[in-house]
Formats: sequence, C-alpha cells, structure tokens
Amino acid sequence: MTVTDYSIQRPRTVYSVIALLVVVLGSFLTRTQIDTDPENMLPASQVDRLFHNEVKQRFALHDAIVVGMVNEEDPDGIFNPRSLTALHSLSRSILALEGVVAPDLMSLAQADNISQEGVGTLRFEWMMQEAPVTAQQAEEIREKVSRLPLLTDTLVSGDGKAAAIYVPIASKDLSYPLSLEIQLLTESLDSDDTFHITGLPVAEDTFGHDMFIQMGISAPLAGLMIFLLMLYFFRSVQLVTVPMLVAMATVIMSMGALTALGFSVHIMSSMIPIFLMPIAVVDSVHIMSEFADAYRPGDDARRVIRDVVEELFTPMLFTSVTSALGFLSLLLTPIPPVQVFGAFVAFGILVAFVLTITLIPAYVTRMSEASLAKLGTRNATVQNDGLLARLLQRVGRLSTTHGKLVIAIALLMAIVSAVGVTRIQINDNPVRWFKKNHPIRIADEVLNQHFAGTYDAFLVLTARNDKAVEEFQTAAEALLTGADATTRALLEDRLHPKTETVDSQDLDEYYGNLIAVLDDAQFEAEDPEQQDLLGRLMELAESAQSSARYFQRPESLRTIESLQQALGETGLVGKTNALPDIVKVVHRELRGGDPDDYRVPDTTPAVAQSLLQYQSSHRPQDLWHMVTPDFSSTAIWLQLKSGDNQDMTRVLEALDRELEDHPLPAGVELAWAGKSYINVVWQQSMVHGMLKSLLGAFLAVLVIMTLLFRSWKLGLLAMVPLSLTILGVYGAIGWIGKDYDMPIAVLSSLTLGLSVDFAIHFISRVRSLLGETGSFQAALEALFEEPARAIARNAIVIAIGFTPLFFAPLVPYITVGAFMAGIMAFSGLTTLVLLPAIVAWIGPWLFPNLDQETSK
Amino acid sequence: MTRRWILTLLAFAPAALAVEAFGQEALSDADTIVARANLAAYYAGDDGRSEVRMVISDSQGRQQRRQFTVLRRDVEEGGDQQFLVSFSQPSDVRGTVFLVDKHAEGDDDRWLYLPGLDLVKRISAGDKRTSFVGAHYFYEDVSGRSPNEDTHKFIEATETHYVLEHEPKDAGSVEFTSYITWIDKATFLPMKIEYTNETGKVFRRVEVLEVEEVDGNTTVTASRVSDLVGGGQTDMQFRHIQYDLGIPSEVFSERSLRTPPRDWLQRPTD
Repeated sequence: MTVTDYSIQRPRTVYSVIALLVVVLGSFLTRTQIDTDPENMLPASQVDRLFHNEVKQRFALHDAIVVGMVNEEDPDGIFNPRSLTALHSLSRSILALEGVVAPDLMSLAQADNISQEGVGTLRFEWMMQEAPVTAQQAEEIREKVSRLPLLTDTLVSGDGKAAAIYVPIASKDLSYPLSLEIQLLTESLDSDDTFHITGLPVAEDTFGHDMFIQMGISAPLAGLMIFLLMLYFFRSVQLVTVPMLVAMATVIMSMGALTALGFSVHIMSSMIPIFLMPIAVVDSVHIMSEFADAYRPGDDARRVIRDVVEELFTPMLFTSVTSALGFLSLLLTPIPPVQVFGAFVAFGILVAFVLTITLIPAYVTRMSEASLAKLGTRNATVQNDGLLARLLQRVGRLSTTHGKLVIAIALLMAIVSAVGVTRIQINDNPVRWFKKNHPIRIADEVLNQHFAGTYDAFLVLTARNDKAVEEFQTAAEALLTGADATTRALLEDRLHPKTETVDSQDLDEYYGNLIAVLDDAQFEAEDPEQQDLLGRLMELAESAQSSARYFQRPESLRTIESLQQALGETGLVGKTNALPDIVKVVHRELRGGDPDDYRVPDTTPAVAQSLLQYQSSHRPQDLWHMVTPDFSSTAIWLQLKSGDNQDMTRVLEALDRELEDHPLPAGVELAWAGKSYINVVWQQSMVHGMLKSLLGAFLAVLVIMTLLFRSWKLGLLAMVPLSLTILGVYGAIGWIGKDYDMPIAVLSSLTLGLSVDFAIHFISRVRSLLGETGSFQAALEALFEEPARAIARNAIVIAIGFTPLFFAPLVPYITVGAFMAGIMAFSGLTTLVLLPAIVAWIGPWLFPNLDQETSK
Repeated sequence: MTRRWILTLLAFAPAALAVEAFGQEALSDADTIVARANLAAYYAGDDGRSEVRMVISDSQGRQQRRQFTVLRRDVEEGGDQQFLVSFSQPSDVRGTVFLVDKHAEGDDDRWLYLPGLDLVKRISAGDKRTSFVGAHYFYEDVSGRSPNEDTHKFIEATETHYVLEHEPKDAGSVEFTSYITWIDKATFLPMKIEYTNETGKVFRRVEVLEVEEVDGNTTVTASRVSDLVGGGQTDMQFRHIQYDLGIPSEVFSERSLRTPPRDWLQRPTD
C-alpha cells in the first residue's frame, strides 16, 4: 500500500500526524536567533577571520558606531559655540550609555591636545574640556585641530563643516539599540546641525532588525499573492486551500527544524520561507490542475485522485529531487549561512513533496460531493476557453512552424548573454543592502563626502626574528661561563625559561624579567668582577630588548610611512593613521612646533622618549591601538570612502604591486584585517564556491535526467532550458551592470532546480503523448493543451508569488524578487517555445525508439 | 632612626593624647584626618629617596615596565615640595628626568629632560590628572592631590580605619564625582581609595599592598592602581628607601636635568 493509498483511507490520521509535526517543530520558532554579522559568512575557523579577531584583540579594537554632525549653514561650519556645545554635550551623554566602551570613545570633546605655551613650554590638555562660549574660543579649537593630522578628516572634516564621534561598542548586537538611543539624544539637543548615524555594525544590526520585520511581511504576502492567483485559476477556495496548507506546513516545519537544530537565522536563511512558499505550491498545482481536468461529477474522487497522483508521482519525485539537489549543491560553497540556506530549502522541498502526496489525497477524500461536482463542471468550461489556453495554443503553433527561427534566436541570445556574463562585476557592500533613501545610506553618503572615509581596514605588520633570541642566549651563556656559581644558578633558569620556546609575544617580558633580575643581582654582588660581568650581561639584554622592539626604530617607522604613502596614492584610501603620525606630532611639539620638525626622529631613544611623552596624556591607551606594548606588531588604520568590496580589492592589489617593487625588510610579515577586508575574503570564497556548486549541481542533474529518461540525449535536452536561463539571467546582470552579490550568487542554484522542473514535465509528457498519438505534430499539439497550461500556471504562480518582494525596503529582497520573476518567466518560456522547436526539428534523433513508444 | 621616631611622637603628642582620652570617636573631623593623612603619605621625613619599579599591565595582562628613582625634598612640612624623577629602565628612555616644584597653592612647575632629543622643556601644568608615563597612576597620585581641592566628609571609623568621602570643589577639572578613602587609624596612611564616576560606579581603585617601617616612617613599599572599567592595573614597588638624607635644594634645579645628581641617585650601599 502506498502512502497515498493510506492517506485516502485514513485521512484523519494523516491530518493528526502533520498537525503534530507542525506544532512540535513550530514551537521552536519562538527561539529564533537572528544573525546579521557578515563575518559569519566565513566559518568560525577560517584563517582570515581568526586573524581579524586576533588583530581586534591585539590592538584592543572595537566595532564602532559613527555619529556624524554636519553644519552647512554657518560660515564657520561646526566651529561655532552652539555646534561645539552640542557636540560636547552629545559626547558626554553617549559616554554614559550602557554598552559603550567609554575610554575608547573618539570625539573632539574627548581628544587630547599637545601644544606650545610660549617659548620652551609644552602644554598637555583636553582639546575641549568645556564647550567654548565665544566665537574666538571656537576658532582656537579649529586652529588646534588643524595641527593634529590624526584628528583632521577623522574627527573633524577638512572643510570644518562636519564632526564625527566614533562610539566603540562592547558587542556588535548592541549597535541597533544604541543607535536608537543616540538618535534620541541628538533629537533632544539644542542645535541646528544635522546628525547622521552609521557605521558597519549599525548597518548590519539595523539590517537584522528590518530583516526580521520583512520575514513577517514578505512571506505571508507572497502566500496571499499565490492564494489569489490560484483562486483565479481554479475558482474554488476549497481546492486552493490545500496547496496553501501544504506551503504553510512546509515553511513552519523547515524553519522549525532549522531553529531546533540550533542554527540562527541569517540574511540568507531569512529568505527560506519566501523560497519555499512557491516551490511547495508547485506540485500541488500540478495535482490539482490534473484532478480538476480529470474529475467529472459522479466519478469516484478517491479513484481519480489516486490515478492522478500515480501518474504524476515520478515526474514530481524527480522535480523535487532535482530542485533539492540544486539547493543541496550550495553545501559545496564554503559559506555557512549559504550552506544552511541550501540544506533547509532542500529539506523543505522534500517535506513539500511528502505533504503533497499525502495531504492532498487526504483532503480531496474528505471534500463533499457538492464541492467536487462544482469543481468538475466549472473547470471544464473555464480551462478550454481561457485566455491562457488560447495563448498557449498559438505559442505552440508558432514554435513548431518557425522552429529554426526560434532556435536561431535562442542561439543569438545565448551568445549575447555569454558576452554579458564576461562583463559581470563581482561586488558587494552591506550598506547598499539598504535602499538609497534609507537613513543609513544617506548618512553613509554625507559622511563619506565630508570625511576621509567611514569604512575601515587594517594593515598589520609583524616583526619576527627568532634568531635574535638564540644569538642573545648564546652570547649570554658565553659571558656566564666567567660567572660565579650563585650568579650562574640564578640566571641559567631565567635565560632558558621552562616554557618551551620564547615566542615573540612574551619576548619583551622575557627580557624585562631578565633585566630586573640582573639589576637586583648587580646590587647584591660584592665582587667588582662579578658586578662588571653582570653589567655586561645587562647591556646585552637591554640591547636585545631594544632591538626586539622593532617598531620603535626610526627605520621601521619609515617603512610604515612609505606603505602609508603607497596606500594614499591609490586614490581609494581617504586617509591612513599609524604610529609614525603620533611620533611626528609629539616630536614636532617637543622641538617647538616648527612644521619642519614634523618628522620621525633619527634614533630609537628619541622615538621611545617621544612616545613616553605621548603616554603621559589623558589617553595613554590610544597608543596600543596602533602598536603592541612590546612594539613587535603595528597596525596601519585605513579609512576608505567606499565599502564596495571591489574598491577594497583594488587597494589590496595596489599594495601587492607596491610590495613587489619595494619588498618589506626581512622578518617583517604583512597581513590584512578589518571589516572591509573580511567582506572581500568571504566574497571571493563565495564566488569560487558558487561556481563549484553550480557545476556540481549541473552534473548531478544531468546524470539524474539521463537516468530518468534512460537517454543521454533527452538528459541533455532537459538541461537546455536551465542552461539558457542561467546564461540569460547572468548575462542580463552583466549587461545591466548590477553587481554580482550574495543574493545573486545564490540564485544560480535556484534557477537550476526550478527550471529543470518544467523540462521534466515537458519531456515526460511529450514522450507519453508520442506513445499515444504516434506523431510529433500530434504530440506537440496535445502538449499545448493541459500539460502546457500546468507548466505556464506554475511559472506564473511562482513569478507573481515573488512580486511582494519588490516592495521590501531591503535591496537583497528586491533583487531576489525581481530575478525570481525573471527566472520563472525565462525558463517557462524557454521550455514552452524552444523545446517544442527542438523536438520538431530533431525529434526523430531525440526519440529514436518512437516505434517502441508508439507500440507501448 | 629612633631619634626621628621620638620626634614624630613628640610632634603628635597632643593628638595622640586626645585619642587616648576620648577613644575611637576622638578623631571625627574630616579635615584633620585628611591633613594628617596628607603628611603621612607624602611628607615622611624632611627628604627622601626611593627606587620605583612599575609594572603596567593592560586588560590582557600585557606588561610594560618602568624603573626610576625619585628624590624628594620638603620645602615646608605639608606645603611646597621638590621632586626629581630619573628613569633607568627601559634603556631607551634612560636619563629621562622630570623635575617638579610642587606648590601647595597654585600650579606646580614642571620640567622635562629628554636625552634622546637633548631637550629641556618646561611643562605647563594644565591638568594633573594625566597618566604618569603610561601608567594607571596620574601625576597627581605620585605627587599628591592638595587637600584644598576637595571637600571632605567623615563617614565612619571602623576598628582599623577612618572612612572619608571627598568631593571635588571644581567638578569640571576631574574625571570623578567623588572618592572614598580608607585611612589607617594607626599610621594615617590612606590604604585604599575608590573613585566613583557620574553613573555612580566605582571605576578606579588605588590600594596599598605592603607597608614597611623605614627610618621610623611607616612607608608604602607596594601599591596598585586598578582600572575597574577597562581592566588593567599598574603595580608600583618601592625599594632602597631612605629618609632625611639632607639633599640640598640645588639638586632640584634645572641644572640637574642634563647632569643628573649621581651621588643622590645612586643606590645606597647600606
């Protein structure tokens, strides 16, 4: 007994089991966790991601909300008492917010200043401890800022019209609530300035918030749309209710399973309901369509539905399996959210298949005689005279009579599309996930217009010289041979600590401890000879420690400077901030403030002593955002005006060229970190991964098609619509100039899975019709009756079902909606126009066993 | 040593007698306690020398070390003082010297010598609550905050400590809203200070870890400042301490910046 038979006999049991599953899995939905961090596009163990997080730790960096303040009206820009008072008060209020890393907040009101006070006197003070009262005081602040390159174009725009507050936050998921609190603070200020709030964490977290809302709106709206369309086709609420039940049960079970297994809902998985809704309906439409056609009043509904399911079982199984395979191929892409998306859509498709062959028969069995009777008579009239029916018959005639022309046009389109594919621009930018008029997009645009850029990346240099430690140890041991027993006993252990090897991180501490011990020993030693020996050991350790502090050396700072210059010359980097900038400012002010002294001093002690002065400020910890306390690693901060991956990629390439021309000194390693860089990494892995997924799925589907039709020729024929659709869709993307981003990449496998459905139905129908009619012409004519209508209805239902996405405020949703509609239209059309043309042209070659099929 | 101890006893005899007579409640006047704590913490002896080892640890436990010698001379007990701070470690900053003329009233005078740049600079005091060479200590923690800058309130006397609360007279000039000190009843050394910020949270703590009797003065030999918000701490260890060396006032002149007074900076040989 098949499951369908069982469903027909025990409809109540089927209802109960399905209802139970829906309730149990659905109950997990309350535990849904949203994840919008693009970092999670990379597996947690991915090497660049690990490094990125290590760099954040190493330089105590936090994700930051950027608050911008713009004054276009005042001739002095923001340098007027009222604006600066607002800035001052806003900074103070933000400092008090829970979740803000107060000591690292960057604002004019929290900045330190070093300046000259008369001849030979230095002054360290807050830049703006109190807000200025007079225009003169405001002007003084402008002058002070202009002398500090680290602040210009970072905290205050070069044109003086804008100021920024960088609000470091303890955790990324606080950025949306915090941005709302800051928004409230800005509204309560007495100020005519315009305020903008942006920054990647805000963009991401806000996206998550909007996404959650979208999920609640788009999926039900798509459901409603599909419901109305089906109602139009079938004119029976009762009949249309059941595919909707299938769709809803599928969505709830799939999302419930996803949550139950502990996965969070990422931007990708938030689209699962929208994808599953139309797909789940497809098989039901086939069955209902066929049932409505076959059922005549007086028939035994049970028998009719069983026959219909039996006939459609194989094509439905295969379309489901191939669609599922298309999505499963996403597992080949090394991006966890994409994998989760692929796996659960595939799961949903199979769930939908099972529900279709159980729930629908059970439902039909329980329909009243009266409803069934209405259904039969009405369908018979509606369908034959319908607009769609007439249109399809015309299409059928056209494609068979002008077959060669159709094929020629298809070939031409394929070529044009192929050219388009070569023009595809691979690019993504999380801020562009918002529409142009979204406050975050506006903030992004305004602030990047005024400042050197709000997107960050870090170029990290690390110096390693393992040999130096060994050399030091050898030299120290050589000296120790002349030492007395006590000294030797004291130092042997310290020289070779028990902890395996001395790695660079502890190197500074290793030397520091050694120096402290030597210092004490020297005090205790009474023999002048031993004292002298300890003194020499001390010198040795001191010099080893000093050279291990690689980025305190003038020549190392110059290396950083030349990298900064090279980055600046790309034209893509608005500004870089690095250790030499600090050293140069302090050095200039120590020397008396002459612009000529804005340079790296010539000796290591001079650098070290300048930095000691910098550390005597209100914010000594700022130094460690640029260099580690042992001076073995340093970070160059890049401010980029664009968050486009493409632009970041260009910066990477430019730096590679620079390094080819001017290699780094031996022992210095270079690596990238920062959100802009991480986005490039996952994008690259996505593009390669998607290509793999697509090829993998293509081959798998081809094999399945060949098996299904027991003919490699028909297998290839089945691949024609999807190949042309993929080519067409991506060609169009190339020609339109739309960036190839994450949603677009994912659409390829979707296309593959859905387009092949039409071809399967088409070919299996052609084959059985050939058997029935015995001629290609007759078979094709028959095909353009009910089978073509089923295909067309499906294409239309899915295409229109996605249109509510057009009204989403988030760009990726719009993209998906537009392309889904496009894909359905395109592949439906290819199947109904190109395939008949091909069959009419080389039918005998494709179906060599026509005689056998006829005789069957 | 004993001589100094006796002198101290004599000097404070009336107060000591008062304690005897009225028991624990005898000292409940905040200003008096603060004045005596100020003397105990910053004015031990007429002058002094100490070697300081400082370990600055960030929230990740990463360390920086500093070593310097401090010479101090009291111009007036409880009033003006002179300090000379000379760095010996790390070697790249060796020879860096700070000279401070601390004034009980008005801004201090500060000078700086950087041997690597061969440069003497005068530092405008501006703000004394800036970091002392990258440590969690402020300049003011090292040289002492004038009792006149705060109002003091007596909270309670525990078995061992006087507990006082202090509020700044000029709230705009400091990063705290108030602080509480625990002053040892016997020695009058402030043993713990906790600073509270606008949100009412204790964000900074200074505490004494060890005291020793040196030349008759109960002297702090180890102390710590902790950043309770950002994490991280600075430990200071005071060694080779001596009092009443008779350091002449010329030692604290600008000339000492370039030519350090080696005789006084040198470690005592017992």
